[in-house]
Amino acid sequence: MKFPESWLRSFCNPSMTTDELAHALTMAGLEVEDVAPAAPPFTGIVVGEIMTREKHPNADRLSVCTVNVGSHAAAPLQIVCGAPNARVGIKIPCALVGAALPPGADGKPFMIKRAKMRDVESNGMLCSARELGISDAADGLLELAADAPVGEDIREFLKLNDSKFEIKLTPNKADCLSVYGVARELHAITGAPLVPEAKGAVSVTLNDVLPVKVLASDLCGRFAGRVIRGVNAKAPTPAWMRERLEKSGQRSITALVDISNYVMLEVGRPTHVFDLDKVHGALEVRWGRAGETLKLLNGNTVQLDDKVGVIADERAVESLAGIMGGDSTSVSDDTQNVYVEAAFWHPLAIQGRSRRFNFSTDAGHRFERGVDWETIPAHLDRISALILEICGGQAGPIDDQIVNVPARPPVTMRIARAQKVIGVNIAADEMAAIFTRLGLLHTRTPQTFTVTPPSYRFDIEIEEDLIEEIARIYGFDNIPALPPMARAAMRSKPEATNSLHDLRARIAAADYYEVINYSFVDESWERDIVGNGNPIKLLNPIASQMAVMRSSLVPGLLANVRHNASHKADEVRVFELGKVFVRDAGVADGALSVEGVAQPLKLAGLAWGSALPEQWGATKRAVDFFDVKSDIAALLPHGARFDSAAHPLLHPGRGARISVNGAPIGWLGELHPKHLAAFELTHAPIVFELDVSPLLARPLPDFKLVAKTPMVRRDFALVVENSVNSDALLSTLRSAVPAHTREIVIFDVYRGAGLADGQKSVAIRVLMQDTERTLTETEIEQACQTMLAAAKAAHGAALRV
Amino acid sequence: MNDQMKKQTTDAAFSVNAYVGESGFADIVTSAIEAFAVCADAPSLENAKAKYLGKTGAITELLKGMAALSPDEKKTRGAEINRVKSSVEGALNARRDALANDALNAKLASEAIDVTLPGRGRGTGGIHPVIKTWQRVEEIFASIGFDVADGPEIEADWYNFTALNNPPNHPARSMQDTFYVDMNGTDGLPLLLRTHTSPMQVRYARMHAADATNSGKPIKVIAPGRTYRVDSDATHSPMFHQVEGLWIDENISFADLKGVYTDFLRRFFETDALQVRFRPSYFPFTEPSAEIDMKFESGPLKGKWLEISGSGQVHPSVVKNFGFDPEKYIGFAFGSGLERLTMLRYGIGDLRLFFEGDLRFLKQFS
Repeated sequence: MKFPESWLRSFCNPSMTTDELAHALTMAGLEVEDVAPAAPPFTGIVVGEIMTREKHPNADRLSVCTVNVGSHAAAPLQIVCGAPNARVGIKIPCALVGAALPPGADGKPFMIKRAKMRDVESNGMLCSARELGISDAADGLLELAADAPVGEDIREFLKLNDSKFEIKLTPNKADCLSVYGVARELHAITGAPLVPEAKGAVSVTLNDVLPVKVLASDLCGRFAGRVIRGVNAKAPTPAWMRERLEKSGQRSITALVDISNYVMLEVGRPTHVFDLDKVHGALEVRWGRAGETLKLLNGNTVQLDDKVGVIADERAVESLAGIMGGDSTSVSDDTQNVYVEAAFWHPLAIQGRSRRFNFSTDAGHRFERGVDWETIPAHLDRISALILEICGGQAGPIDDQIVNVPARPPVTMRIARAQKVIGVNIAADEMAAIFTRLGLLHTRTPQTFTVTPPSYRFDIEIEEDLIEEIARIYGFDNIPALPPMARAAMRSKPEATNSLHDLRARIAAADYYEVINYSFVDESWERDIVGNGNPIKLLNPIASQMAVMRSSLVPGLLANVRHNASHKADEVRVFELGKVFVRDAGVADGALSVEGVAQPLKLAGLAWGSALPEQWGATKRAVDFFDVKSDIAALLPHGARFDSAAHPLLHPGRGARISVNGAPIGWLGELHPKHLAAFELTHAPIVFELDVSPLLARPLPDFKLVAKTPMVRRDFALVVENSVNSDALLSTLRSAVPAHTREIVIFDVYRGAGLADGQKSVAIRVLMQDTERTLTETEIEQACQTMLAAAKAAHGAALRV
Repeated sequence: MNDQMKKQTTDAAFSVNAYVGESGFADIVTSAIEAFAVCADAPSLENAKAKYLGKTGAITELLKGMAALSPDEKKTRGAEINRVKSSVEGALNARRDALANDALNAKLASEAIDVTLPGRGRGTGGIHPVIKTWQRVEEIFASIGFDVADGPEIEADWYNFTALNNPPNHPARSMQDTFYVDMNGTDGLPLLLRTHTSPMQVRYARMHAADATNSGKPIKVIAPGRTYRVDSDATHSPMFHQVEGLWIDENISFADLKGVYTDFLRRFFETDALQVRFRPSYFPFTEPSAEIDMKFESGPLKGKWLEISGSGQVHPSVVKNFGFDPEKYIGFAFGSGLERLTMLRYGIGDLRLFFEGDLRFLKQFS
């Protein structure tokens, strides 16, 4: 909400500077977001009156004026002026010789000097609103009111030594959605006196009443209105009102609209002015009906239903209750007779409605938060008096129907509870003073206060609401920051569990950088890359490339490669730890789950480009499956298996499913070449994605005595078919002589000369040991033969000779 | 051995013989030391040794001459010759050691490497700066006994709003523009992307309350995680991270909130030279509610109040939704943006950098 400081001070004027005032409001919960001067600095500009105007002898577009500036000059000043609206009799801002106009782009003021313009002497300058820096409009000289006192400083006359405040109000502060509301608050904060609201004195000279039926008491709690006949809708809005409206960010429209807006800003009362002659018969206040439509003041036509409140006449719906008036009964320059309405709309009946129609109005904003119902007649008098004063006319009586206004049950606050919650023993007398300053009527016992909330407060229903008021006005700054007191209990991280940060540190140690990608992605990523035809969609995405929830972290990593490759990176290793989202009918609502959605945490990584950074000491080669397999080995639980398996993201011959005890926990492989183009890549990255939960177990070490007996090493090469996978071969060898086999390692795989096509030679090292005694040569030889026989039987392996 | 050296060695040997008998034995030793000193390698040293200790060497010759002497002379002269012999042998061994040492040094010198070349192999990667902050926040709060919790990001309306005292259509809902997904919760309302980590207050507290072993134990938890709002510019990202904090016990006041959060900021920024202020605000789930602002007293951001967190005493309706009796239990909650903390910590000006995955950015934090 915006308003000029001077308007606020007209109701409550504490002896504080502008900055102090802004700070005081901010620290009471009315956050002053901006304080801007009403006009930039300038001096030497006064009210002038054009006495004569002649055409400039040497220039078609210029005129030569004499301007009366009162006591500032002995005689009217001759000034050359280029504005088309310069004419005799108007009053305008006149910059005298020596005046400093607002600084331009260079930050320096523009100085007015005596000058000759096309041979004619000019002793000053006549100014537009733009030249004074108070408006962007450059429509000629700023014409001042006819009664503007000649010679008065323009800053005084236009009240430009003022500041425009902009306050960001929280939704609970409905009572501060007006200048008077802020003044009431300022009074509570500072104790400076509060001037009573302006009373409208209206002499009722008509008997006319527009009949109104309130048919929905859950919509409208009070409805009041009055007829005013014979208004002059073309009357100008007075300068003082225009000035306040403009400084409040409201454009002046017509007097009737301006008056309505003014009263809303002044006391927070939205009202609506109908053109009475366009209303057909009686009004009724009711819920809308399906099929009804309404063309609004803003030109939009909305479809109505029984969730939206309306004001209708005998023919049609004329207004969206509490939000916006209709087009057909709106006032115009030709309006002569009006009906002024002020009502109490229940907040619950207004909330969410304008959002449904995708617009917001000042009235709706106030009604959905709550507007005082008790002051309706007083405010109706206030707006009526202003209409009569500005537009003339004859007023009828106020027709006021109280249907169903909220109860204001008293709220009790225990003094001890307030002290406990706030953490300070604020004295009861001080609490009483705070309530008094806030205008909260209360009764008191030694232990409690009981407050009856005023009708303008919609945020006092429970004890905490009062505790908050005490804390707020007592001042958060005055509440100490206490060092917390708690029992000193020791705590430890479970040793048998990896934290997510441990996982991150391990993968980062293998030269991967962590990234954070958006959880919502382009639908094509899910459909074409991950192979998920039914991703969870956002109903209101901000962009099509953020339209669905990802079920894999990998496409985001591929986009990271594209980004970095475009910046000439030739090696990219990234990982992300985050949730993925999949429809899953098996998930029920639970302590940490939401029905129908699986949201597991995944760890995904990617390596692309050279295996090592380019360096003097290592030959350059591309990163491959086995590099990354080793990178993630440190993360995987004991007994993790890699099995060749197809995956939509992966090269069909270079992908592995990773499983533990038969349960898949992730996959690793080279990206399928068909996906390269989508990410503008020329060669394939290696990617992996793992479930995080199996990675978190870190069993305690299972210590075994270190045997003192010697370890025996035997190497042999086995020739097998290419299709024999090494894991199976090792497994056969290992189980052949389990008692003595300590370690079996493949140290070479050879294909080529000396071997038949389709065969490979696998070089194997076996370490054997008995924990009790030294193995004999015979035992060793026997063990080797047993292994070879097993390998032959299971895989057709032959000893290479 | 070059000719010059051979000549010197030979001359020395002759001069030794020349002195025998007349000038005493000291000269033999001196000449041996000199002869050994000019030997530049092991073979020439062995040659020089032969001149003194070999079968025809000077000392051997002296010993041969002993046969003609009387027993007394033999005794005296023998002792002297042995002294000379052992001196010469000492000199020889010293020279042998020196030569071996020189040879080793020369070998080592030839093996020298350029230690300024970079190490071989791969570098180490790095943790994302926002996650670094996440971890630091966890550690700071863990130091005073806070647990860590996380939960769903696609969340039910009830947990994200209603349980937090923010029913449908409430004006406060417009404070957080919400992403909805194409699925409904069991209450028939659309599921949404959590707009804050506050639903974890409710989930954690209900789990805590449901577990009888927790009876009487306070709730002290932080819940860091991803959150989402319909917003996107240099200072707003549609996805960001928050950390929620919650401490509920029989006597945890607003003054405690001030104490804990102020202490946290000073530890997080590792300086006491910052001011913290609490400013009344409104959140449906806390009352009294406060915005927390901080101001550095030094550094590039000195003197500006910066919004850092929302906070307050947990609203009694919310405490009830936790499964606790609000008459007995009170406490505070806060929610802070991890990106915001990170930006202030490292002086990062643009939020979008966090989500681009640009290695030139990320490598600065490893």
